[in-house]
Amino acid sequence: MPVLDIKNLILWYRTRKGPVHAVDDISFALEPGQTIALVGESGSGKTSTANAILRLLPKNVLRYEGKVVFDGQDVMEFDTEEFRKVVRWRGISMVFQGAMNSLNPTIRVGGQVAEPLMVHYDVDRDEAADQAIEALGKVGLSADTARRFPFELSGGMKQRVVIAMALILKPKVVILDEPTSALDVMTQTNIINLLKELKNTEHLSYIFITHDLGLASELADLVGIVYAGQLVEVGPAEGVFVKPKHPYTGKLLASVPRLRSEAAPDFIPGAPPDLTDPPPGCRFHLRCPVSFEKCGWSAPEFIEQVRLLQILEETKNTVPAIEAMTAKGAQNLLIKPVANGTVAEFAQRLTSFIAQNQETYRFLKSVESVQAKTKVVEVKLYESTPPPLLGGDWRASCWLLAGAGS
Amino acid sequence: MLGFLILLAVLVPIFAPYNVVQSWNDPGAWTNNPKLAAPEWSEVFTGKHLPRTALMPYNGEPGGFDKVRISFNVSNQVYTTVVLRSSFSFQADAFPSEIKMFMTTVFGNVTGTQIKVFWGRPDGQEIHIFDANPSVRAPYENTFSLTGPTIKDPSYAVYNSIRDWLILKNVTSETEWDALFPRIGGIYQNPPKAQTMLMGKLDHSILDPQTSEVLKGNYSFRIEFNGFTATDDANARAVVYGTVFGLAGTDFEGRDLLVALLWGAPVALAFGIAGALASVLIQTILGAISGWYGGLIDEFVQRTADFYLIIPTLPILILLGILYHLGIVLILIVLVVFGIVGATTKVVRSIVLQVKEEQFIEAARSYGASRGRILFRYILPRVMPYTFALIALTVPAFIFLEASLSFLGLGDPMLPTWGHILGDAYGQSALFASRAFPNGMWWWVFFPAAGIIFTTVAFALLGYAFDKVLNPRLREQ
Ligand SMILES: Nc1ncnc2c1ncn2[C@@H]1O[C@H](COP(=O)(O)OP(=O)(O)OP(=O)(O)O)[C@@H](O)[C@H]1O
Ligand code: SF4
Ligand SMILES: [Mg+2]
Repeated sequence: MPVLDIKNLILWYRTRKGPVHAVDDISFALEPGQTIALVGESGSGKTSTANAILRLLPKNVLRYEGKVVFDGQDVMEFDTEEFRKVVRWRGISMVFQGAMNSLNPTIRVGGQVAEPLMVHYDVDRDEAADQAIEALGKVGLSADTARRFPFELSGGMKQRVVIAMALILKPKVVILDEPTSALDVMTQTNIINLLKELKNTEHLSYIFITHDLGLASELADLVGIVYAGQLVEVGPAEGVFVKPKHPYTGKLLASVPRLRSEAAPDFIPGAPPDLTDPPPGCRFHLRCPVSFEKCGWSAPEFIEQVRLLQILEETKNTVPAIEAMTAKGAQNLLIKPVANGTVAEFAQRLTSFIAQNQETYRFLKSVESVQAKTKVVEVKLYESTPPPLLGGDWRASCWLLAGAGS
Repeated sequence: MLGFLILLAVLVPIFAPYNVVQSWNDPGAWTNNPKLAAPEWSEVFTGKHLPRTALMPYNGEPGGFDKVRISFNVSNQVYTTVVLRSSFSFQADAFPSEIKMFMTTVFGNVTGTQIKVFWGRPDGQEIHIFDANPSVRAPYENTFSLTGPTIKDPSYAVYNSIRDWLILKNVTSETEWDALFPRIGGIYQNPPKAQTMLMGKLDHSILDPQTSEVLKGNYSFRIEFNGFTATDDANARAVVYGTVFGLAGTDFEGRDLLVALLWGAPVALAFGIAGALASVLIQTILGAISGWYGGLIDEFVQRTADFYLIIPTLPILILLGILYHLGIVLILIVLVVFGIVGATTKVVRSIVLQVKEEQFIEAARSYGASRGRILFRYILPRVMPYTFALIALTVPAFIFLEASLSFLGLGDPMLPTWGHILGDAYGQSALFASRAFPNGMWWWVFFPAAGIIFTTVAFALLGYAFDKVLNPRLREQ
């Protein structure tokens, strides 16, 4: 039975620009002793997922739903007090991103590590201090660290203190939110080794959040690739890292610089999508190198891409001259050609342009039909829905796979 | 600076016990001090040796009057004669400000009990300066002034005695004297300055206080008392008041301003620190609560703070002072009550709003710390450094407030605070130049003002020091 089973977790924030779909239907399960690495670009919703699991919600939450089954109980049903007592720190603890800042600068390290203990149990000061020193010992810090203030510690030591704090109530699951970013490589390695060791001695399950694939492969049994608030691929580490199913995972792996490799690291064109208005269809289609008909281009996106072609050096002379474009619904758009020939001729030029360029500019593949009307050309795009996350233990959400599977 | 102030505050009660302060408002306690005397060391500016106060205490005390008493019986009539003598050496370059004589007398119901007073000079002259009948019985004192007697006072005769003496010595003539010091019905319209004649060189210059030269040497009092019962007795003491006194001079009641100055320090410190501590701490806690809990509490605290910021505290205090004559503790309480919310509440609230977003607060929430615990263990300690700086900077404000109230005569009427002294000085026009005080009574204003400024600056510097600790950018320079 999984120690943690997350089903259809959703966390949206309310902002002035509209709802931020920071966690948009994420599901995964974690067996006892397993580690899942959540990997994704900055702003993809990794921290939000962790916060959603621990119910650490800011004021501007718009939607918060789903199932979080911890130890066989759906803790989403718990009220605040029950949740605080059962889940927070006793069941699931967390090492925050930027752990350096999660220490109270006015409390000595010993007191800080003992804080969760004092908050949850009625232990006296000496008892708490002893346990704090024991916990510090587990993470390789000497007893006299307890008497120091956070500012007297190095980054690596602070990280260890935060880990000690996460362990003090002996939780089953520890969420590690980028525990090693901002540390040098040696210290990073030390922390990772420490985490490995603790995992065995303390029988922990980790949710390891990172954007460093190398570290993820060190520690993880499972890997979940997060893109735009969703898991696009989740499966065993050996599989995902060696032979990724999802094009995004592939791009991600290719972007890791490799020693002794002639090839320059690849990069992913474009920026991560705006989570207030996630792209329709497959959220990755704007940047996907292999996107095709079903991936979900919409008329406004299509228009934007055409505009781009109009100014691009390679294509600006070959794009048929256009006077105006208007979207008509999500899948239709009207193109008004510059008046130097008939509309039918223009439609022809357009069709051949699409045929010639659709391997390079893959959005062109989304064109289902081009029809000449009296004054304008109507372009119809393929309809699309988001690709389902398919597969058994190793799932990925890509229409290519769905097509191959069916 | 601050260390000095605190040391002072601690030491003052040891050196000058509280009863000194209690006697501040008792005029009888200060009769041995000259009035309006400048500090002793101010003579270095004049280049002259200025007279200190010479005390000739009662018989029996060291340096006191010599006394001989005889009582004898002649044909059933008892005669009692007491002779009292004392002398003092006078070496100053200026005349004393006053000469006074105090006598306790015991006498029967017989009229005619008489006191004769003789003034002996270094040049061998002895002037019989006045005769008097005692009017009060011991333990009360008959007071005689040799230098500023009033017409109701028997010692008023001093003027005539001097006149007769000077005419006898051919220093002046009757007509010249009468022209210089005209009398109407025996009352001097513009009485001579007796000390310049009693103690001046015996020549024509003695007539004008401006030209009269001090005759240095030993002066003496000789007092004869004649009574008519066997129990009659008399004792005398005399004070030759100087023109300088102590380190800080005296005020119009002869009170030693040093006492007030020294006592001003602990009073100002206690008042300032207690007031600042109480109001800033309360404001801090309310500000933190306001920022941390937010919502209706926030709204309530902030609107109250707005309201409190608008109402003018000083006028209200003045009003209360006029109506009730508040003691210093009540003034403090009123100030604190009117300062439970205010600018600090707003400052702290904004700091808390910032601290609230810091990650360790979220971390604390995540391991289940309650809101109260976070407030007291996480947020308040973060705000405290700012609060200390604010306290240090608020102390001067409280000291100033107390001084302003005292200056206006609305402070604690019993305590000699710095503001109180300044108020007195202002009431007596201390800073106006007069013939007697060509530079005004500067010491009366200078020291309390310096005390206030010193304390204020000390706390301001302390505040800036905190600022430097808190603001790393300032530290670099
Ligand atoms: N309280 C909030 N209100 C509104 N938007 C938020 C809030 N918190 C996070 N977001 C937005 O949600 C998205 C996901 O944020 P999140 O912190 O989960 O990303 P992340 O994957 O942890 O990124 P990083 O790797 O940089 O830590 C971002 O676009 C972010 O701007
Ligand atoms: S569905 Fe697959 S192929 Fe299509 S855009 Fe998404 S990742 Fe690329
Ligand atoms: Mg994050």
